[in-house]
Amino acid sequence: MSKRVKILLISLCIIGILVSLGFAEAAERPLRTTWAWPTYIDPAVGSDFSSSVALVNLYDTLFYPDIKGDPQPHAAESWEVSADGLVCTVHLRQGIKFHDGTELTAEDVKFSMDRLTTIGEGYAYLFAGKVITETPDRYTVVFHLKEPFGPFPITLFRLYIVNKNLVMTNVKKPGPYGDMGDYGKQYLLTHDAGSGPYMLKEFSLEEHLLMVKNPNYWQSIDSYAPDEFKMIGTTEPVTVRTLISRRELEITDQWQSLEALAALDKIEGVDIAGYFPGTEFYYMMHTKKPPTDDIHFRKAMAWAIDYKTVVEKLFPGSIQSRGPVPQTLPGADPRVFQYHRDLDKAILELKQSKYYAQLDKYPVTVHWCAEVPDEEKVALLFMSNMADIGIDVKVVKVPWMSMIEEMATMETSPNIVTIFDSAHYPEAGSLIESRYMSESAATWEQNEWLLDTELDAMIKDSIKTIDRKERFAKYVKIQRYITDLCPTFFLFDQVEKHAYQATYVDWPAARGEVIPVMGYNFAGRFIKVYPDKRAELLK
Amino acid sequence: MRTLKFIVKRLVYSVFVLVGLSILIFVIARVMPGHPARMALGARAPEWAVERLREEMHLNEPLYVQYYYWAKGALHGDFGMSLVTRRSVANDIKEFLPASLELALYAGIFMGIIGITLGTISGWYSNTWIDNLVRVISYIGIVTPSFVFAIFFVLIFSYALEIFPTMGRIAPDLIPPPRITGMITLDALITGNFAIFLDALKHLFLPAISLAMGPLAQEARITRSSINDNLKKDYIAAERSCGIPERTIMFKYLLKPSLIPTISIYGLDFASLLGNAFLIELIFNWPGLSRYGMNAMLRKDLNAMTAIILVFGLVFVIVNIIVDIIVEYLDPRIRLGVERGQ
Repeated sequence: MSKRVKILLISLCIIGILVSLGFAEAAERPLRTTWAWPTYIDPAVGSDFSSSVALVNLYDTLFYPDIKGDPQPHAAESWEVSADGLVCTVHLRQGIKFHDGTELTAEDVKFSMDRLTTIGEGYAYLFAGKVITETPDRYTVVFHLKEPFGPFPITLFRLYIVNKNLVMTNVKKPGPYGDMGDYGKQYLLTHDAGSGPYMLKEFSLEEHLLMVKNPNYWQSIDSYAPDEFKMIGTTEPVTVRTLISRRELEITDQWQSLEALAALDKIEGVDIAGYFPGTEFYYMMHTKKPPTDDIHFRKAMAWAIDYKTVVEKLFPGSIQSRGPVPQTLPGADPRVFQYHRDLDKAILELKQSKYYAQLDKYPVTVHWCAEVPDEEKVALLFMSNMADIGIDVKVVKVPWMSMIEEMATMETSPNIVTIFDSAHYPEAGSLIESRYMSESAATWEQNEWLLDTELDAMIKDSIKTIDRKERFAKYVKIQRYITDLCPTFFLFDQVEKHAYQATYVDWPAARGEVIPVMGYNFAGRFIKVYPDKRAELLK
Repeated sequence: MRTLKFIVKRLVYSVFVLVGLSILIFVIARVMPGHPARMALGARAPEWAVERLREEMHLNEPLYVQYYYWAKGALHGDFGMSLVTRRSVANDIKEFLPASLELALYAGIFMGIIGITLGTISGWYSNTWIDNLVRVISYIGIVTPSFVFAIFFVLIFSYALEIFPTMGRIAPDLIPPPRITGMITLDALITGNFAIFLDALKHLFLPAISLAMGPLAQEARITRSSINDNLKKDYIAAERSCGIPERTIMFKYLLKPSLIPTISIYGLDFASLLGNAFLIELIFNWPGLSRYGMNAMLRKDLNAMTAIILVFGLVFVIVNIIVDIIVEYLDPRIRLGVERGQ
């Protein structure tokens, strides 16, 4: 062997050794998903979609929702609510371990609630100023409510239990929360302190979040559940399409356009999953400002809208809403009155309106949210539909923050504001309260300015009702009452669409097993990944 | 000594430029519509939480008081908290700047090598088919936005041919090298990890070339035009008449003066790469400062916006000083001008 050949061989060996260094063990069953960023993994900070997904996987909650949105015991073993609805006592399951091996106790639950309500961010609005927590013993938590609140147990889907000891050892002082310093906010920004089925492995703030299966999880996890769950911070269509086609992405984000979804659907083995997460698109009408202060005027417009075109052409896959509550939300009334386009009825109603003879003097102003371009199509269709009955509509594009500002006073609120809204907790009462109670006037959730004391009393009474059946019956009455007032156009229940690898991923939500609570449909332990089927696709 | 004096003078001017820039950006950021605290905490956050954040950020104070607090912190390297990432902006810059710098660095290499080579060939073979071809390529490069190249390259090299990775800085099954500079290729070389170096290069290739396409076309055009001008100069004719080989004329006497305008523009283009990389970083999911800065602007993250624009301003200033030094070295007329006090 010549000297040159020897040198070449030695060099190749060295390169081979160097190349082999630095490889980590590749995940056998990765689940990779794309998301709109940023994601916050601090349970007292995160509340948007991607944050909710991360939190559901990293942390445990007292209760876990089933597909009806009902609470099932989780970290809680049992619970009871006092007859007056003011005390909710929860008995914890023993032996649940945080990721660092310490046991989850009542103190951790109290700490999590106190931390959330003190920081005031994320899901704090569900509990702040409403609840005081006590821990009579190591495994019992008592929540004292200031007012009876029937759906309280289901709001606890959003109380993610953090490891008190771990957080307290990582508190930075001084901080904005007095003795608690920064309450561990800096630490929990990039670390987890949970007991959930997945543990944080890596968090690159602007890039991705990687979770790995918790081998010591207190519940059994299917062996086909992903061993790694990666959340990638991109929604860029070309990137998403390339990743999907290379089988490097299992489920896409919900922000892909119709065209992008159509292209993804054509890739072998990829299907589009669509489900209704409980979001409704509303046209909120100002009921104290001319001409939308006239109920006949409002009803005339409701009869003139072309709902069919909206759901078939503009937002395909969505369904026409039925009343103020999305149809998939527990407590929704399936028989509440629903408008359809009927110009004769529209004209009849319009003739009863006090503005009929002077329509040209009362144009209707529609403000749509600049950050959601698709809303413009609906606004333009609405303008055209109203022209059919002689109503002049002015369509204005307004940035979201300006929208919030103008809705802060009755005088500056326009005739109509468009809004996508969803429940804070999976029950009709949540949307009814946040959308129509007098307290929500002057916020972005109500442009109607109903200020109806009778309705307020009905809503308060319903959410104070502890018995679920009784409470739901009251919700039905309220939905009919609101629909009769016609303060809002209930346009459509939004469909959430994701492309996914149907050949090698078994995703319950795609099969129709949809949990009506944001984030829970992405609980990794219920999703199955089959690497052998993926390998076949890659051949 | 005179060069040192020149650098010091430029640095002093730069301080004034940066202070002016910081005031300008600080004011613009704060007069833009929208409530940063509300945007940060979300539409459903209780009012008291929003108010507390406003107080923490001194947003209830007059503008000049806010600037005082900001400038005081900035002098100590503290740019405040980011409303998007919820941590110190200084930390964010430390984390995201190396990724952008690394991208810009490789884009700069492509820009220099390919741009100057194409321009030189085009200039040397002026008015031939080679020149025409390079000119057409240059025009395409100049008029096409970098994100179009990025999408095009992803579709060809990642989607169809599957040669290059689609996103990220390193393959998911590789362990990143210990963070020394934050630039993965450099850290991999320092720690002797050749596999990671190669993989990071592979990840860098498409974003860097996409980012470089516009500026490299610009460099090619400027180099070509400069070579063309110089080819008509008397000294070249004199050299040719003396029988000096064409190769020597090209590399010894023509290229050096012809590169002066290219280097000047190259500096500006290089500095611009950082700020212009937003869409590239978005498409390739590159965790860089440009993308972070754009997100900060969209979410009205006041502290982050101001700090990042200041960082970009600082990079511009530094690059400009370096370019001036290089140009001074390349062009004796400038050097002599400095010496004569002109």
